[in-house]
Amino acid sequence: MSFPPASENTLGLLAEVRASRSLVGGARRLVRPENPHRASLGTAFIGIGASLVCGIRAIYGFSWFVGYWPDYPNPVPALAAWILLIVVLATAFVTSSIVGDRLPDWMFALFLGLIAAVIVLDVVAIWDLHDVGRYATASLTAAMALLLVITLRRPSEILISIGAIGVGLLAVMLVNTRLTPENAASQVTSLAFAVLPVVIGVIIVRGFRSMVQVELDRVLVQSTVSAPRFAVGMLASEELARLDLAAEELLDSVATGRIALPLRPKTASVAASLATELRLHLIEGRRETWLYHAITESELLGRSVTLTDKGSLAGLLDANQRDGLLAAVWLLVNDHAKKTTVRTVQVSVGPIVATTPVALTHKLKVPVVITTTGVQRNRVDPSTWDAIRRVGRYSDSSQNASLRVEIECFVDNPADL
Amino acid sequence: MDHILKERDRLLQRTARVYGLSFAVVATLCLVMPGAVTPATYLPFVPLLVALLVAQYRVGLSRSYLWVFIEVASVLGIVATITVLNPDGLTPAALSSIAQFTAASLPSVALVLSTDRVRLTVLVLVFVVVAAVTTWLTADSRSPLMTVGLLVLGWSIAAVVGIWISAGVPQAARRIASIGRAHRAERQASEIEAQRRQSARLLHDTVLATLTLLAHSGVGVAPAALQQQSADDAKLLRQLRLGATPTPLSSGGYNLEPVEETVLGTTLESVKQRFGRMGLEVAWHGTGQVLLPSDVLDAFLLALAECLENVRRHSGVREAHVTIVDDATTVRAMITDAGVGFILDDVDSARLGFKESVVARLKEVGGHARLFSEPGSGTTVVLEVPR
Repeated sequence: MSFPPASENTLGLLAEVRASRSLVGGARRLVRPENPHRASLGTAFIGIGASLVCGIRAIYGFSWFVGYWPDYPNPVPALAAWILLIVVLATAFVTSSIVGDRLPDWMFALFLGLIAAVIVLDVVAIWDLHDVGRYATASLTAAMALLLVITLRRPSEILISIGAIGVGLLAVMLVNTRLTPENAASQVTSLAFAVLPVVIGVIIVRGFRSMVQVELDRVLVQSTVSAPRFAVGMLASEELARLDLAAEELLDSVATGRIALPLRPKTASVAASLATELRLHLIEGRRETWLYHAITESELLGRSVTLTDKGSLAGLLDANQRDGLLAAVWLLVNDHAKKTTVRTVQVSVGPIVATTPVALTHKLKVPVVITTTGVQRNRVDPSTWDAIRRVGRYSDSSQNASLRVEIECFVDNPADL
Repeated sequence: MDHILKERDRLLQRTARVYGLSFAVVATLCLVMPGAVTPATYLPFVPLLVALLVAQYRVGLSRSYLWVFIEVASVLGIVATITVLNPDGLTPAALSSIAQFTAASLPSVALVLSTDRVRLTVLVLVFVVVAAVTTWLTADSRSPLMTVGLLVLGWSIAAVVGIWISAGVPQAARRIASIGRAHRAERQASEIEAQRRQSARLLHDTVLATLTLLAHSGVGVAPAALQQQSADDAKLLRQLRLGATPTPLSSGGYNLEPVEETVLGTTLESVKQRFGRMGLEVAWHGTGQVLLPSDVLDAFLLALAECLENVRRHSGVREAHVTIVDDATTVRAMITDAGVGFILDDVDSARLGFKESVVARLKEVGGHARLFSEPGSGTTVVLEVPR
């Protein structure tokens, strides 16, 4: 059996646990790039769409090639380029649906090599025509073939590759073609048609991925809505199980004599830190509410939402109110077109307001105040107000040019339950 | 679902903006080539281009049809300007530029017109109008077949992109929702598991006691006894790990018999005797016979024993008074000593034991503890549990 180094005291161990929590939280576990689930979340479908676009472009390019056939001084390299390109496209399409999430490095390198070969063959075929922009067919489609692997490699790799291809084509044009007002426009057009679709594709895939991540984050956090009044976080039981197991191993070692008594100071300190951690975990956890867990477990909310809830009153909200509050906070943080501006939201719950005369329903009045920065009142999405309305009656105002909402939230008195 | 659909629309809008603007720039580049068009063309072209760029930028932010129509109108205006002001036939550069505007830049609107049937209908109408007008205007310089082919290519690529994203998002959303359901189940399981482990309080008490002995290197305890205790505790933890909820009978000098609904009095007597043996005289006052549910009784007794242990260790006196009173809803114990007392603030932070053993334990069964003390005037702890 092995123990952590003795230099790690209880606090050190705890700090480590905390740090790891931020890494292995549910959402992050699912959206880390190396995770095989990611492609199945719609990007594979987007990849097929990109292939389709590439296919349409290939048909268009091929029809031009057929049209130019009589012009070629020697059509053999051009024909070879097209045959090679069609083989590469078909193979890449089939392969991309087999390899799943990520194209292995060697395959990507081979793919780029073959694309380069296609471009070289095409350029060789049209060299003597001295108008690359006009006569290039297979090479332009080959550049766009990067769309086939757009979901399988990192955006930066795709952008670097298309950049290199673009620079290469530009160099060939400058060397081969004497630019005149007659042919300059077709060079620009050809280059743009080779490069821009891939760049736009990268932008789409990136946007799609971040959209999926945010939605995943929201859905995972949504599960806190049905949590009991005081809940443990997702990892509480894991940590407790880990501590129990460590204690079991230690005790077992002592029992079987593998660890001699009296213990060496190193092992004794391990026992001490285990005891302290175990104690902390037995009392910890149950005083945090769903809202706390929702905010800490969410990548998006964790960054920009702070919660003040001294009395743990958020736990008293019913499922509908929780859903509304979470949706409202989510919309305030996320629902805006400009993702560059930083929005922060402060949620403060409680303290309980004494209602006079005592309400007939025996409900408690818990004020919930949402203060924000960077949220203009007239820019708030209407669905935010619907969500807030589900929490309770509200009044809204502006504070420092940003939205402030006060909600009167009525909850069941836990003493009556 | 609504939420992600809104996000999808934003993604489409942003893409349409980049798509449209980038090809508009390329088209403009073609048009400013020397000799591409007559100089007079630029006069109406510039305001039309500005209108197009503004509309394309606005499409990124707004779902309104207005910007789409402004885009269509300005592109058709540009095509008309170029063809009308260059009556001697269009140069290749001008033709390229028209092709870029009509078959690459303007089709970006297909991305935002692909999300539902109404918008798709508008898309088809827009395409028909653009194709008809462009083909008619450029008929002199380029064969209509080629123009239409180019337009079909450009618009179908953009439409495929738009429709594909529109269809891909609900698919992804369904998968995400099913992950969400799995996650909810996982959270509930985690909650139950944590509860099971946390409620194995008696077990953890004995494990903690043994770990504490080990933390002092096991000095002062017979090695054989400690090994035996470790073996017992390891076995209990193994049982807990394998799914059982073991209830230990003893730990060291403790004797924690499981109780169902036990009379408080007899159990108090055993606590009293145990502390008597360790040198602390406990004087009982008040109710002797109270029935409590077993978990409440456990928490109550353990908290009480913990308080008495604190008195024994820290107060400096050898006598403690315990007063038990009960009414219809609560059972209350007041543990008083006339010892040295302490400053309350020190305890909160420094003594985890009180918080964990007493407060947390009582809280779990709905009770609470209050602590009163001052240096030199003894300590009083009030424990309350519901009946």
